[in-house]
Amino acid sequence: MHKLFESMNRRVCGPRITFIVVVLSLVVMGQLTCTADDADASVKDTTDSEYDTQKADAEKVFRKRVTPFIKKYCIDCHQSSRPTEGGVNFTPALDKPWEAAFTQQWKKAIARVRAHDMPPEDVDEQPDDQDRQAFIDGVEKLKYLSPKDPGPFIIRRLTKVEYSNTLRDLFGVDPSIADDLPDDVAGAGYLNSLTPLQMEHYLSIAKKVLDRMDAWDAPSGKELRKRLTEESLGSVPDARLEAQSVARDFARLAYRRPPSDAEVEVLRAVFDLGIQNELGYAGALRLMIQAILVSPQFLFITPAEVADSGSEIVPLDGYQLASRLSYFLWATMPDDELAALADSGKILEPEILQSQANRLLADARSRALFDGFGAQWLGLGDLHDKTFDMDKYPQMTGELRSAMYDEARLFFESVVHENRSVVNFVDSDYTFLNASLAAVYGLENTVIGAEMQRVTLTDANRGGVLGMPGVLAATSFPNRTSPVKRGVWVLEQVLGENVPSAPPDVPELDKQDKEKAANLTLRERTELHRTNAVCANCHSILDPIGFGLENFDGIGRWRETDDTGGAIDASGELPGGKSFTSPQELKRILAGRTDDIARNLVRRLLAYALCRNLDGYDEIVVDCLMIEVAADGYRMQTLINKVVTSYPFTHRRIIDQPTSTLTSE
Amino acid sequence: MLHRRTYLKGLGAALSLPLFDAMGWADSVDGKTAKPPVRLGFMYMPHGVIMDQFWPKDAESFLSSPPPALESLRPIIGQCLMMKGISGVANGPFSGAPHALELSTWLTATLPNPDKRNEVNIAISADQIAANYVGAFTTLPSLELATMPQTWKENQAGLNEAYYSHCSFRSPTQAVPAEINPRSVLNRLFNKNDGSVDDAVPGQLTALDRSMLDLVLGGARDLRRTLPHNDQQKLDEYLDSVRSVERRIAAIEVRQKEAAMEKAGVRSSKRNEADSPPIEIKIPEGDKRSEYMQVMCDLNVLAFQSDTTRVSTYIGSTPNGVSYPELGFNDHHHSQTHHDNEAEKVNKVAKITEFNIAQFAYMVKKMHSLKEGDGTLLDNCIMMWGSGLEDGNKHTRENLPFIIAGRGGGSIKTGRFLPDTKGNQGDLLTTLLACAGVPIDRPVGIATKQLLEIM
Repeated sequence: MHKLFESMNRRVCGPRITFIVVVLSLVVMGQLTCTADDADASVKDTTDSEYDTQKADAEKVFRKRVTPFIKKYCIDCHQSSRPTEGGVNFTPALDKPWEAAFTQQWKKAIARVRAHDMPPEDVDEQPDDQDRQAFIDGVEKLKYLSPKDPGPFIIRRLTKVEYSNTLRDLFGVDPSIADDLPDDVAGAGYLNSLTPLQMEHYLSIAKKVLDRMDAWDAPSGKELRKRLTEESLGSVPDARLEAQSVARDFARLAYRRPPSDAEVEVLRAVFDLGIQNELGYAGALRLMIQAILVSPQFLFITPAEVADSGSEIVPLDGYQLASRLSYFLWATMPDDELAALADSGKILEPEILQSQANRLLADARSRALFDGFGAQWLGLGDLHDKTFDMDKYPQMTGELRSAMYDEARLFFESVVHENRSVVNFVDSDYTFLNASLAAVYGLENTVIGAEMQRVTLTDANRGGVLGMPGVLAATSFPNRTSPVKRGVWVLEQVLGENVPSAPPDVPELDKQDKEKAANLTLRERTELHRTNAVCANCHSILDPIGFGLENFDGIGRWRETDDTGGAIDASGELPGGKSFTSPQELKRILAGRTDDIARNLVRRLLAYALCRNLDGYDEIVVDCLMIEVAADGYRMQTLINKVVTSYPFTHRRIIDQPTSTLTSE
Repeated sequence: MLHRRTYLKGLGAALSLPLFDAMGWADSVDGKTAKPPVRLGFMYMPHGVIMDQFWPKDAESFLSSPPPALESLRPIIGQCLMMKGISGVANGPFSGAPHALELSTWLTATLPNPDKRNEVNIAISADQIAANYVGAFTTLPSLELATMPQTWKENQAGLNEAYYSHCSFRSPTQAVPAEINPRSVLNRLFNKNDGSVDDAVPGQLTALDRSMLDLVLGGARDLRRTLPHNDQQKLDEYLDSVRSVERRIAAIEVRQKEAAMEKAGVRSSKRNEADSPPIEIKIPEGDKRSEYMQVMCDLNVLAFQSDTTRVSTYIGSTPNGVSYPELGFNDHHHSQTHHDNEAEKVNKVAKITEFNIAQFAYMVKKMHSLKEGDGTLLDNCIMMWGSGLEDGNKHTRENLPFIIAGRGGGSIKTGRFLPDTKGNQGDLLTTLLACAGVPIDRPVGIATKQLLEIM
């Protein structure tokens, strides 16, 4: 699942261009409202009153600062009556500003107003900086108007990766057995969708699994195989009773929760069908296992308990929580220990949940967290298939690309396993290299062999994701660097800011006036487009960051001159006036923004864990988690622990949201 | 605003093309061979064309000197129809996402819902509308093919990634994934892994599977009742998919019975003795793009020839794009389409376009070589090749580039170029559905009329 949601969140979850102080008396309410259960009722009351105060304030600010701003500067073009410019309509958003449907719209509005991208140049009157800031602050407070809501936990289909891993754990078959299943596409809604093509594949893969019974070597697979053979029939008095028992035991594993009596009954009916069709005992049992593998209880994560009608929000049951945790960190089903804790209900205790999260993270299966989350976060998911100009970079072989990916993976895992501060992602003195990757670093004399090994770095320009060849290559064009892409990458992926997309029909650099650009360095050419006022607003923020990394070429090698032969000028300035002259200094400045880095990771991980976009109340949850994460030195395991014990991870809303007042025709 | 019912009445008047018989073989009686059914196929190339290489000079010279891009179609140019003046869907609020729109609007003639842009929320596509109707007569309601994974990790303008790689939508919220592995397609079409199409060989899906699925379906309905409302909707897609597999198995059983009868000497009602035998499928060993594209073409031909399905979409490549080393350069398709009239890039795009049209030509020529009924397989097909952009350099689509091959069972007059057609993508799709005998109760996307000149 997870990888599918990250890339979506890349655009929608980034918070701010300049860091907005998240203040307030959240310190009090934070630790209380965002954890799973708040025991102390008297403190809770305080929290609620704090919350009410915030809410009242947010309402007032919205009415006094945001609404007039929209009415003065925005509504003429962005209202219900068509044509609505850019499809952006503030009429309904002014009515119910807190609704999830408008979350993205508000985020984009903030980004554009902050970047001076909106209101457009040609309007009569521009808001001054103070007005802009008041508008931004007011919109930021909208979260306090959202009712406390964990969001739904709509049943979802296992992703292709999760599905094949689950088959591996159940039976011991090679996950490649599911290769024919169509790849999943990222984005909301897709995963809940199921087409006949996929259904047919599920059916034929189930058959393949049963055809390969000899190869089953997982403990549960071996156990099942014993019970599926004719010989075992001799030892059971009643075949139907035994079938029922096999159904109950195996469905407990495959459904990741105990099957209901009715569900066992369905499976026994399948067994009977097999007997009627003269499949024999073993054949009928196999048909029954096939039925389990195409059942929605296997293909989807479904709740064990029927929620009381009338309740709106319920805690997840232990089985759902165990599944949510293991699919989040392992991309597979719960193992025996986790399953036992679900059976006993102990998994619902926050301390147990946290210690299980740590246990799962220590296990090799947690590689899934990098493959599903980390790689997408860093933009390395496509590195293997990305086009490079092979004349210019002949060394970009599959092998080197794999080494680049593994470097990022091993580094990510080290931060997790060693419970380091997230600041290590930006600034650190070690990495993982093999001989071919070491050549990119200019360390070919230091590292030998194809094996990846931990290497201490002495060059302070390296260390951390900004100096990693994989990242630097992924943010380049096939034949040259792209300061713009790198700038956007740093702002969005590292600092979690929301960069407005470029206006349509902007020519790329290659198409700029050729003569004008002929003798300029890439930096000088890039700076050309900042002479255009429309571009300048955003690019004066983006480009300097990218320039700071210009010493790294299109695949991450150090260089002193760019392709034109001109000397690299890696100086620049970050928003807020901090200037730098080298990658090393840029890193140091970014490393100083620990809070932003951590907040970005909290938001991305939470969205990934929940498999949905964050909106409304989630923002308050993020504020709460940040307080706890900061208090523990921004350490990575703590961050993950806080996500898995958070209110939305452990609860679900079971009624539909009130319908929005969107006036689309 | 025009009320929908009024609108439909209006359209009803415009729907003056005769509705062609979609049932075809299904209504044959007593061994008397009926007219073969009409099949509808779509094949896609992203990023548009080089206009002066693609559009014919004029109507008169179309047959004698077709445009350079259509060189490969020259031998059967008389079976082709081109129309200029069909406009695509306007970009609306998505001007920043031309490549998400080119494919997703291609068969829907509809813009994604801007209020739910990060979800799949568009409209049922023309091929799926057809599948809903004619799909009932065949083993597979429709066939979706592609030659590259349908993933693309980008979401310009906040649009769901599925829009970059899917043209078929089963419902507004359900993108239909395509098969990219020829072996998998073969297995799905004919229930077996080898290349032969002997129906007597026992297939992988059986009547027992159907009965088993029936029980599972019963259990799923029970589960549905215990779930909150929003979960129920999700489970409906599961239920729908299982029922569809069940129908497919039933269709396989019918086919197997027929095949057995045929073996026993009872001539199938479906086939003339003079009809060509099923074509052979050879799955290529290497990774040559032309061979890969052609085996998918072969599978499409065989699926139509054997009446396994009557509707297909074939995404030659998604806007994510591929490179064409066979043409002597490694550049990615998209990188060359922003050519700014630079000769070298223009030339490369022209070559890529020719290459893609040549694969289409390979498919329709094969169809033309197969006898069916009183004519050829192609005579009973409507094969549309096209792109969702006209000019990839500027992302425009004033005149969508497309080529129709096949007479659609007599519903289309080919061998023509109509230089001044007035209409849009929805009009075109609405018209093609009528030609394929699909009754529709509403226009496709932005359609307001049918293109009567297609006759």
